[in-house]
Amino acid sequence: MFSKANVITRRDFVRAGSGLAAAGLLTGVGRPGAWADGEPARSRVVLVRRQDALGEDGSPNGPVLHDMLNEAVAALLGVAEPAAAWQRLIRAGDVVGIKTNAWRQLPTPAVLEEAIRAEVIAAGAAPGDVAVDDRGVRENPVFKRATAYINVRPMRTHHWSGLGTCLKNMIMFVPQPSEYHGDACASLGAIWRLPEIEGKVRLNVLVMLTPQFHGVGPHSFSPAFVWPYKGLLVGIDPVAVDATGARIIEAKRREHFGEERPISPPPHHIQIADTRYGLGVSDPARIDVVRLGWTENALI
Amino acid sequence: MIGASMKRLELHQAVGTAGLAALALLLATCGGRSGEPGLAGLREKLPEAARGWRAVDRGALYDQESIFSYIDGHAEVYLAYGMRGCLARRYTGPEGEAGITLDVFELASPADAFGVFTYDRDGETVDVGSNGLYRYGWLSFWKGPFFVSVTAESESAAARDAVLELGRAVAALIAVGGTPPALVGELPADGLDMGSVRYLHSQQILDTHLWLGEGEVLGLASDTPAVLARYLRDGRSAHLLLVDYPEEGRAARAAEALTGRLLAGVPGGGPAVAQDGRWHAVRRRGARLMAVVGAATEDLAGGLLADAGFPQGGG
Repeated sequence: MFSKANVITRRDFVRAGSGLAAAGLLTGVGRPGAWADGEPARSRVVLVRRQDALGEDGSPNGPVLHDMLNEAVAALLGVAEPAAAWQRLIRAGDVVGIKTNAWRQLPTPAVLEEAIRAEVIAAGAAPGDVAVDDRGVRENPVFKRATAYINVRPMRTHHWSGLGTCLKNMIMFVPQPSEYHGDACASLGAIWRLPEIEGKVRLNVLVMLTPQFHGVGPHSFSPAFVWPYKGLLVGIDPVAVDATGARIIEAKRREHFGEERPISPPPHHIQIADTRYGLGVSDPARIDVVRLGWTENALI
Repeated sequence: MIGASMKRLELHQAVGTAGLAALALLLATCGGRSGEPGLAGLREKLPEAARGWRAVDRGALYDQESIFSYIDGHAEVYLAYGMRGCLARRYTGPEGEAGITLDVFELASPADAFGVFTYDRDGETVDVGSNGLYRYGWLSFWKGPFFVSVTAESESAAARDAVLELGRAVAALIAVGGTPPALVGELPADGLDMGSVRYLHSQQILDTHLWLGEGEVLGLASDTPAVLARYLRDGRSAHLLLVDYPEEGRAARAAEALTGRLLAGVPGGGPAVAQDGRWHAVRRRGARLMAVVGAATEDLAGGLLADAGFPQGGG
């Protein structure tokens, strides 16, 4: 119904990336300098998949996930060594909040939280300056003084926003999350402009191990609508990460239902985060997807 | 409808949201409606077991506040239909079988229970409660002011049998029945996809079924019952939306706004074709609004208008 207009402005994009640029963290990935004169911005997203990311019982394989994360971060920042990549994301003295997602049916795997925490500490953050939290972020003492966030959550369909995305994952920073549920959560991007968040999210990890492509029932979950995709989508630009994840979900719905079954409501908060809030790139034509590992049935 | 709404408003203003929530739960748990057991009464009568699945607890009661701690991210669906309370009980299965969760929601009215039921209408019809549906280990039905959901965490033949048995046992505990809201009966029959009929009075709920674009446009509220349905005629599809407003002024404003949204203000309310090649039309008569959205052809849009009692040129 609504028409897309690629109206992200250079000024918007500079503003969105300013926090990261100031920290010297953006090197060729979604930074103001990535603009060539007259050229629209591009973003890089890494899709890493491994067949052994899940065990036979479906549980996440911790060491494999840790390797996937490191490979993705290194590829994202274009460096050979993961440690060097992490040191470009996190500096000594940073206070780091790892914003996870505790949704009972499909939480962020604890082994992935642990891997991120380990890398953040190895990069220079003091152990006491790192915390993992979801619903308690507003009261968490580490999050209250955070200088940096790592944003990590599984991809799933969502009743109000169409999709539960990295963009949506920051909703727990506001006192009344339901205030952002109107209009299919169109204004989620505004949360990223809050002073306590703007410019502080250093990395977004959309967990695609067992994404949920359809929801049913009061608890919005059925094992029938998740599948072992065994991947992670990693990027600095949350819009590009989410837009890429959305393409995978849309493709899976087409495959499963055998027809066009658009995500409902439309996850337009992703596009609006681009066009209204200037948080990144939603146009697939301007997203460079770097693929690592297992490529079968990637759907995009 | 108007009187009831105004009474609710006055009560709300008098006791505040928290007080109203507590009162609602008290009424629900005490069996506040004539002849109905209430959730607390239901809890005492729930079966302890079904086909080898056994209850692990007595059952928990949730109100309009605590429901958020139980249903994360979805509670507003039930609140949008005036949820008074929720009774939840879990059953563990025999070895090798996953658990089953029973949820009984008490809504503001049988119409609202029907509305919640229509939120998700996929599935095969089963003879449980009113309009029972089963899919992927999930049984749902409505009966009286209650919406009942029985979910197996993992589907198997045994789990299906247990889910259905549990559902039938709960349905038997609810004495009242109920018929769908009268507005549903006003949908033209020709080409109606019964499985697509949704009853609602909230923009957020409408958004999940039919996207009309960014921003609120219809002024939907608890006093504006609406019914949405999909039609298929000669292989061509369209949506039909009927909304009853409590007074003509609100209907007129909504019709004007929707005409602007769908038809860019085309005089007469269409049918007119949009950029995507689909046909839309908007009509109002008195306090009722009718819209044809996304019709494949002008003839289909015009036919639906006529069959719904809004012939072209009318309204």
